Order: sequence, then structure tokens, then C-alpha cells
Amino acid sequence: MQDEAGEDWVENARMIVDSAGAIVPADGSLARVRAVRFKGPGYDRGIMAEAGALGLFQMRVGTGAGGLGLGLRETCELARVLGRGLLPEPVLPAIMAAALLQENLPGSALTGEQVLTWAWQDAPGRLDWTGGVKDGRLCGRKHAVQGAAGADLFVVVTGAGIALLPRDAVTVEVADSLDGGKLCSIAFDNAADLRPCATAQSVIEDATLAHSAYLLGVSERALEITLDYLRIRRQFDRPIGSFQALQHRATEMKVGLELSRAAIFATARRFDTGIDAQSRAQAAARVKLRAAQLAMHVSREAIQMHGAIGITDEADIGLFVRKAMAEANLFGSPRMLRARLAAMLDEGLAA
Amino acid sequence: MKDLPDFNAMSDDAFRALARDFVETHYPDIPRYTLGRLHWDQVKPWYMVLSAQGWLCPTWPRAHGGMELTAAKHLILIEEFERYGAARVNDIGPVMLGPLLLKFGTGAQKARFLPRILSGEHIWAQGYSEPGAGSDLAAVRCEAVRDGAEWVINGQKTWCTLGMDANWIFILARTDKTVKKQAGISFLLVPMDAPGVTTRNIENLERETEFCEVFFDDVRIPADHIVGGVNEGWAAAKALLGHERVFIGAPRLSAAAMSRLGHIARRAGVWHDPVFRDRYVALQCDVADLSDLFEAYVDRLRDGRTIGADVAMLKVFQSELYQRISELMMEVAGEEAGAVMPPEGDRRLHAAATYLSARPTTIFGGSTEIMRNMLAKAVLDLPG
Ligand SMILES: Cc1cc2nc3c(=O)[nH]c(=O)nc-3n(C[C@H](O)[C@H](O)[C@H](O)COP(=O)(O)OP(=O)(O)OC[C@H]3O[C@@H](n4cnc5c(N)ncnc54)[C@H](O)[C@@H]3O)c2cc1C
Repeated sequence: MQDEAGEDWVENARMIVDSAGAIVPADGSLARVRAVRFKGPGYDRGIMAEAGALGLFQMRVGTGAGGLGLGLRETCELARVLGRGLLPEPVLPAIMAAALLQENLPGSALTGEQVLTWAWQDAPGRLDWTGGVKDGRLCGRKHAVQGAAGADLFVVVTGAGIALLPRDAVTVEVADSLDGGKLCSIAFDNAADLRPCATAQSVIEDATLAHSAYLLGVSERALEITLDYLRIRRQFDRPIGSFQALQHRATEMKVGLELSRAAIFATARRFDTGIDAQSRAQAAARVKLRAAQLAMHVSREAIQMHGAIGITDEADIGLFVRKAMAEANLFGSPRMLRARLAAMLDEGLAA
Repeated sequence: MKDLPDFNAMSDDAFRALARDFVETHYPDIPRYTLGRLHWDQVKPWYMVLSAQGWLCPTWPRAHGGMELTAAKHLILIEEFERYGAARVNDIGPVMLGPLLLKFGTGAQKARFLPRILSGEHIWAQGYSEPGAGSDLAAVRCEAVRDGAEWVINGQKTWCTLGMDANWIFILARTDKTVKKQAGISFLLVPMDAPGVTTRNIENLERETEFCEVFFDDVRIPADHIVGGVNEGWAAAKALLGHERVFIGAPRLSAAAMSRLGHIARRAGVWHDPVFRDRYVALQCDVADLSDLFEAYVDRLRDGRTIGADVAMLKVFQSELYQRISELMMEVAGEEAGAVMPPEGDRRLHAAATYLSARPTTIFGGSTEIMRNMLAKAVLDLPG
């Protein structure tokens, strides 16, 4: 396939990743991530301002609308790096919300001074997003709204268009999530303008890929930490990494990681260069299915290979398990995605 | 102490009815069906009831205050207590140290320590593992040196389950550095209020404080606080009762988890989804097959046959099955699986709690890797 953007994306991605170093420590320190757990909204709003200053929220805003117009591959590359650092701030949701708003992205959200997120999911365990309107009026509920506990602005996605609501126009329901953040749903009943939006479905699929890349990053870093441990931990007078039982399983993780990476970036390229709607939906489900399974698999194995120290809260590897548990099912659990792909068989799609 | 009936003379059905009535009558007003462990301040009333009724130590001889149950009767007791959701008490004394003293202890040790386990005066912790000695337990470095009529202990133990609730700890200590690792280890009994003993609590993955580190800094204990002779601790520590090794493979945990999985699936509206059912049925067959294998081992116990190294297959399969069930729970629970609290506060719907509590089952009591290594050699007779 001819890649219109040529190799530009690689250079763009490198620049994005370099700049992300400002919000994700290159040395892998998770001290900040630990410090914000189970407090306030579960993240630091100041980091959103830093992300804004780096221009991250303009990534998916077209150049015509004053944005950077970067591709999904660059976005996934950023997401991977954020996942490696278990970044708790809703940077990806803000990027997706901005992608929906385009030229209507408020300046305060672009800078990150105000925290922007989006709300699309009609019900837990489902990927439907066309609800949230009654008789033409914005009214209803949205689930699994990332970052809502500390957000100022919400892009609400409905079948009748999108609306931008301030914090005081929504009721946020929060529950503690395992990673120290919040699992939120929002309710609204509001006379706000609904703006037509033709891109909702595709932005949700883009976000599915980006979230998969975030989980890829989580898995990648968890595997690295585990491999380091296999090298330094000694039992029976040798490194435990010398035991073939563990070597084979570590290799399995690596294979899974590379399958997921290949699927994410090949799919992102297809999304960037054009793909029909049905193949898009199918590919997004396939990519997310693997990424979710990978994150759960790797974090589980990581614990097992750490032994008892993996069962402690003070060991960083536990943060990866909790992150995987908290987020692997966003944008569809493996069970649901398998069911979805199975349903697509009848449409002759998932060949 | 109560005058106990001859339990083993009862029919299984009669004993089951008795055990059921016992737990229903006597269980105090404390939590039931907890996945995590309760601490001593919570579980003490249950311990004291068991103690007062003479039901604390099912396997000990009656002469020492136990129930002296056969394996079959003991299993019934466990089943009925678990069916009721009775909390597990601080049972390292009754389950581990007691039988060990009965086998290897002196008359004086039995007379001193067994009654105090029975009365709840001594709550024990197990101090085997160290930071550098986990799977390779024989590598323990915590050291005891003889000084006149005392042992002087220096070193560290870790992962001591409910060690913060204990006032005594038994440890494996190095008493000879010049011989093969296993041959220089002794089994010592240490009061935790002895000068020089300090502890540090460790939060587990569920952010509960269930285990701790214990440090020994010139801790002195009388010379007779040693079980099984100097440098003979390894054999004592490795001698676990045959039927405990069978019971750890019981299918109950997995069967109960399957029922919770059913609740979660119904709530998620996928109980009839064929994609879900395909996996559910496979797990259900695993639980049923495990039950049959488990029963085969219980039959061996009933017939008084010996239990060999192959029994480890039960633990390997049971612990991993429990984990696999919890994995499907997480998928089925969807986004809600990521919450700290279960939906509507209903613990039956708490996929994450099962998932997290299932993690250590393949690590403690011999990791699955170590057990598979052992099975490959001892049962399959493979080289290496
Ligand atoms: C919840 C919990 C409670 C515990 N309670 C107690 C207690 O009360 N008292 C006590 O003394 N201890 C306790 N332990 C400690 C337990 O006995 C050890 O965790 C266990 O022996 C494993 O040691 P480790 O954790 O150091 O892991 P390691 O031995 O470091 O093992 C790390 C990983 O390497 C693998 N591995 C090691 N050797 C091999 C090999 N040869 N081949 C293949 N793989 C290998 C292991 O299986 C594991 O996956 C507890 C542990 C847990 C998790």
C-alpha cells in the first residue's frame, strides 16, 4: 500500500515522544503516579497544562482548523509512551474530544488550563454511543467517562450531534477505581446546542486504537521490569531468568507484545491512509482485543515471576496489574469484542 | 474443656449435621464469606468459641485437646464451615506448629506449647522465608549462635502471614555454615516480645496489611526452644501432613467462584451469550474433573494409603483453575471490573477481589513452577 505521508510520521512521532518526556519521566520513575493515587480526581491537573503547552491536544485537530493535523500513528506512539509511564491524566480523552471539536476547541482547553474530556458510551459493557438525546434535547447519561472527576469541559457525543458542556451542567458520579483513579459516569439534562458531527464513529475507533497503544505501553514496561527482575533475582545460586520454564513464558509475552504492536500500527496506518467503514470497525475490535488480553496476561505473569514481592503494594509492578485491571475493558472487554467479531462473521466481514 | 463425643464413630451424615449445627449455633457476630483474612481483633471471638468447645484442632489427638478426626470427617468439617462462610482463624498454631510439635517436640515442649495454642494465649507466625530465601528455602541466612544456655539470633524473616497478630514465631535459622545448606538449619521457637524483635507491616496487592517482615537483632532465647535437634530443622519443616496437601487441592474455591461468575454474567446480561458460554462450560468441566480427582485422593486418605509427591498435581490445577475463572470474571464484568468496590456493594459481583485474591495461590506453599519441577522429577522421573 502506498503511504501518502511517506516516512514523515516516524519523524513526527519521534518529536512527540521526545516532548512527552516532560510528562512521563524517561527513567521510568512512578513516584509521581503513586503520589496522586486515591487522592482528589486521581490525577494532577497541572500535568494537563503541561501537555497543553506541548501542543498535544492539537494533534488530531486539522491544520485547516489551526491544529497540527497529525496522524493516528503519531497518536498511538504518544499513547504507548504514556502507557509506559502509567500516566493517570486524561491526555488521550482530551485529544479525542479536541478531534471532535476541531475549530471549536476552546482556547482554555487547548492550553490545558481547563481539563477537557469526552463522554460517548451509552451503557457499561456496550459500545453504543447514539443515546443521550430525548426529543432533540440533550438528556441522559454516559458511562466510563475518563477523567471526569477533575474535568471542566465535557464533549458529549450523541446520535443527534455533539455538545460542549461545562462542569456545572453535568452531574458526575464517581467510584474509586483500582488504579487509584476514578470510574465515572455523567448525567445531564440541558438545553445546550447540539452541533452535527460526522466523525463520532471514526473518532471512537481512533480512540480505541490509541487506548490499545496505551495498554501496549503498559505491557511493554511491565515486561521490561519483569525481565530486569529475572536477571537480578537469584535463587538456587543462579538468576531465576536462567530457568527455562520462565524463559519460555517470558518469550510468549514478547511474542504477544510484538503481535499487538504490529496490529496497532498497521491498523493505524490503514486508518491514516483510508479504509472502508466496516473494515475499520472490525480492525478496531481486533486490535483492542489483543491489547486488552496482552495487558492482563503480561501483568499477571509479571506478578507470578516476582513471587511474593509481586503481591505487595510497594513494588511498582503491582501498579501495572492494577492499571490493566482498571482499563483493559475500556472500549470493550475481550468477551464483548469476541462477541462483536463473531457477529461480524454473519456480515461476511471478519474473514 | 468439653467432654467430646466420639466423632469418628458417627456416620458421615450425622457428623455433617452436627458440624452444620455447630457453626450455625456458635458462629459469633463477625464477617462471613471474606476473601481476605481477618485480623486477630476481629476473628478472636470465633477462635475462642472453637477453643472453649474443643473444636479448634480437628487433627490433634484427643489426649492433647484435639478432635482426632479422620481425614474424611475433617473434610466434612471444613466443608460445613466453608459453606457457612466461617472466617479462617489465625491457624498457624493449630495447623502447622501443633502437628509438628506432636511429631518432633519433647514432652516438655508439648506440655508447654500445645495448651497455650488451644487457649489462644499463643498466636503463632511462620518465619521460614527471607528476602534471599523463597523458593530456595534452604538458603536461609538468619543465624542462631549458641551462647551458654541461650541461642542468639540475628537476621530477618519476611512475608509472615498475620505476623502482626502473633506473639510467637517459629523460624528456620542457620546454625551451621560449614555443611550442605539443608544440613545446617534448626527450628527455633521465638517469643515476639523478646528484646531485639521488631516487625514492619507490608501492604499487599489488595492494599491490606496481611503480612509483615520480622527482624532479629541479638535476640536471646533459651537453648531448649529448639524442635527436632540442632541442625535437624529442615526435616521438621518439610514434614507437612499428608491430608493438608490433599485439602489444598479441594475444588470448593473454584466451585464457589463459578457461582459468582454466574452472578456477574447475569448482571452483565451475557448469561445466554454463546461466546461466554463456550468458556463457562469449559471451566465448569474443569471444576467437575478436579472434583473427581480430588475425591480419588480423599479415598486414598480414607483407606489409609500413603499420599505421594503426585498430590501436588491437585494444588497446581486447582490454583490455576481458580485464577482462570477469575480472569473470565474480569472480562465479563466489563468496565465495572475496574472499580475498587463491587456494583451495589454486592460482593458476589466483585470480580476484582477474586482476581486479586487468586494471585498469591500460585506463589505461596510452593509456587506452581517449583511444584512442576518437582512433579517432573519425582513423578515423571525425568532427568535433570
Ligand atoms: C500471600 C503470601 C503469604 C505468605 N506467607 C508466608 C508465611 O507466613 N511465612 C513464610 O515463611 N513465608 C510466607 N510466604 C512466602 C512464600 O513461601 C514465598 O513467596 C515462596 O516460597 C516463593 O518465594 P519468593 O516469593 O521469594 O519467590 P522466588 O523464589 O524469588 O520466585 C520468583 C519466581 O521465580 C520462580 N522460580 C524460582 N525458582 C524456580 C525454578 N527453579 N524453576 C522455575 N521457576 C522458579 C518462582 O516460581 C516465581 O515465579 C507467603 C507468600 C505469599 C505470597
